[in-house]
Amino acid sequence: MRVQITNGMLIALIINMVYAKAIGLTQGIMAREAGADMWIATLLATAQGMFVMWVIARTQQRLPQLNFIEHASTLFGKWAGRLVGILFIVFFLGAFGSVMITFVYHLMDYFLPEMPILIFVIVGTTVGVYAIYFGLEVVARFAFVGLFSIIALNVLLMLGSLKDFDIRELLPVFQNGFVHTAVASRHNDTDWAMATMMTAMIYNHVKSPIVCTRSGVLGILYGGLSIAMWPILEAGVLSPEVTSQYIVACMQMARSAEIGLFIHRYEMIMVAFFATSALVQTAMCLFCASLAASQVIGLKDYRPLVLPIALLFGGFGYWTVLDHNQAMNMLSKHWPMVALPLAFGIPLLLYLLGFLRRKKWTNH
Amino acid sequence: MTRSRRFLLLLALSLTLTTGCFGKHEIDDLAMVMAVGLDPGQTPGSVRITAQIARPSDVRGQTGAPTAGSGEPIWTVSGEGDTIMAAIRSIARFSSRRVFWAHNQIIIINEKLARRGIKDALDFFSRNHELRMRTWVVVCSEEARKMVTLKTGLEMIPGVSLHKLFRYSQVVSEAPRTDMRTLSAAYLSESTHPVLARVQSRSRLISVQEGSQEHGSNPQVELSGTAVFKKDKMLGWLDMEQSRGLLWFIEPVESRIVVLPCPSGDPEQNESKNGKISLEIKHNTFEVTPHYDGKKISFTAHLNADIDLVEVGCETNLSNYDLMKQLESKVRAKLRREIDNTVQAAQHTYGVDILELGKIFHNVYPAEWKKISKRWSELFPTVDVRVEIEAGIKSPVLLQKPLQPGK
Repeated sequence: MRVQITNGMLIALIINMVYAKAIGLTQGIMAREAGADMWIATLLATAQGMFVMWVIARTQQRLPQLNFIEHASTLFGKWAGRLVGILFIVFFLGAFGSVMITFVYHLMDYFLPEMPILIFVIVGTTVGVYAIYFGLEVVARFAFVGLFSIIALNVLLMLGSLKDFDIRELLPVFQNGFVHTAVASRHNDTDWAMATMMTAMIYNHVKSPIVCTRSGVLGILYGGLSIAMWPILEAGVLSPEVTSQYIVACMQMARSAEIGLFIHRYEMIMVAFFATSALVQTAMCLFCASLAASQVIGLKDYRPLVLPIALLFGGFGYWTVLDHNQAMNMLSKHWPMVALPLAFGIPLLLYLLGFLRRKKWTNH
Repeated sequence: MTRSRRFLLLLALSLTLTTGCFGKHEIDDLAMVMAVGLDPGQTPGSVRITAQIARPSDVRGQTGAPTAGSGEPIWTVSGEGDTIMAAIRSIARFSSRRVFWAHNQIIIINEKLARRGIKDALDFFSRNHELRMRTWVVVCSEEARKMVTLKTGLEMIPGVSLHKLFRYSQVVSEAPRTDMRTLSAAYLSESTHPVLARVQSRSRLISVQEGSQEHGSNPQVELSGTAVFKKDKMLGWLDMEQSRGLLWFIEPVESRIVVLPCPSGDPEQNESKNGKISLEIKHNTFEVTPHYDGKKISFTAHLNADIDLVEVGCETNLSNYDLMKQLESKVRAKLRREIDNTVQAAQHTYGVDILELGKIFHNVYPAEWKKISKRWSELFPTVDVRVEIEAGIKSPVLLQKPLQPGK
């Protein structure tokens, strides 16, 4: 019997999938492009993510028992399904690299500079492998813990930094123009892409597919709200110029926060709470890629492919994070060019081309 | 693989992965820096760093009475190098513990070094992941080394005393509370230039134990104005009055004291010759509004203050009401003078925007700012800043009328 997750679990997974990278590395990159408008860029990206999620949900409601690969295979033939599967593997390979950059640079740059990079990669990948070995439901339940951590972190950070908030730092809005801000939102789009692409792979595991459209879109909206707090605070407390200076902007924010005399610098709190979200991301990237690979090859179970995928992804992740310049270059320049055509293109193509195969999905 | 074999494999993996921690720092291996001073080194272009390091075994016990060790709660050491990092590493040549920056409370920069430029300090301490962004940054005209070694304040560790001096400096509002976060923001800003608090040592401590070494007066660190920077190079000082005027523009002013001569009850006389009056600004709003008519930029700085009458040090036959009404115009004039002096110093003495006027103009006139942003440093000294003060003395605090002798 197929593993099922609740709609609440789907929302938790979506929020976790976008959170860890979106609050830190993405905001630093967007601050360099959009300045104080990075919070607007985040909201624009959220709207785009909601649209793509809606397209995915509408597409999948045609064949609610199938994921995107099976869907493509049913409507357009096996090779089309395989092609979509390979594109999904490529996407999650890149996504895993971006998650590793987030995970490793948070921990290594601020806590354990002497630790070999390989250890971070092994730990991150091993936890992901261990989680998905027990199936999607385990990761989905873990995402609830991640959701609690995200809420706790947001509340703590707000308490620790609101007193230094200066709204003037957010003004004037659209100082670099709407187009420039919208273009900068592509970096946050890559975060939403991880959530939408994941949903395309696990949609058929959700208990109530009818409610799923709402859950998916709401997941993106809630995730967007939990993330939007960060660029607003980062610009208002640190200033957009300072935010743009750092690789991991959210850790700089954590270094500046304090509650009263007793709770100084939040780095430890931050890592404790954010790590859950990062580990959910590694687990889901590995899960979706293993599932896609098993469907490309034609295996019934994804588990035999977990280890090879983990080795491939781990190796790629290690190579990516070895050099900070290379990693940031990949994240800010190359990754959006790979992620966005896939994340926007596959759902839109399947949705639109699906109308040409209306008979097939109505008969199915 | 059977369940027991899997368990054994897991156990073996755990044993290999949990034998120790990478990058661990045992607390008794750390030399915790509590304050740091930066001076020019003896060789040209070099830096001398002085670190005040806590000696934990001697910080225990009652204040002023350490219970163990050598009795000195701090160990102050210095090192020199071509860069800050090299100077710190030179301390490692003789320190028995690893120098640890996470608890550093304050960075004191000597005036000569500040005039040379503080970019290296700003960059180094921003990159240092151990350092807090809340670390205060100040300038002194004396040697920073001396300030770091000075035993000041009530706390066992002078670095902690200095930290608390700034934490509670809102009570006097006489020096900017600049930390690494705000210094970085001002340095990176398109229009605003940094300011740092000035500290100096001054004989303040009086011991009640006759015959003790501390009998008489010993120097303590106190706030004494503001250092003005252009980008990363110090240009000069603002005195205490100008510093008070500056704070309205750059940070919330929680409390301020204004001292004025007593007005006379006799209309023939202007002011009573003896005694003074203290007024405390309790609540205030300060707003700067930019104006642009297409040619000329100007600003209106509007201060609205609620003031309490907290001390009347003279005999007066005026009622509280009359006294407060008479003082209102005087306090307005005094506050206006302070702000005007500050604007004058920023525009004409130093010619740098330390008042955040460029930022305010940018916020309200973004399109116009794009045209003038490159010329802002030339335009800033020419802009007109009009000061409007609304000051109401609202409360005589507890007393219905000023104290008068009953005879």
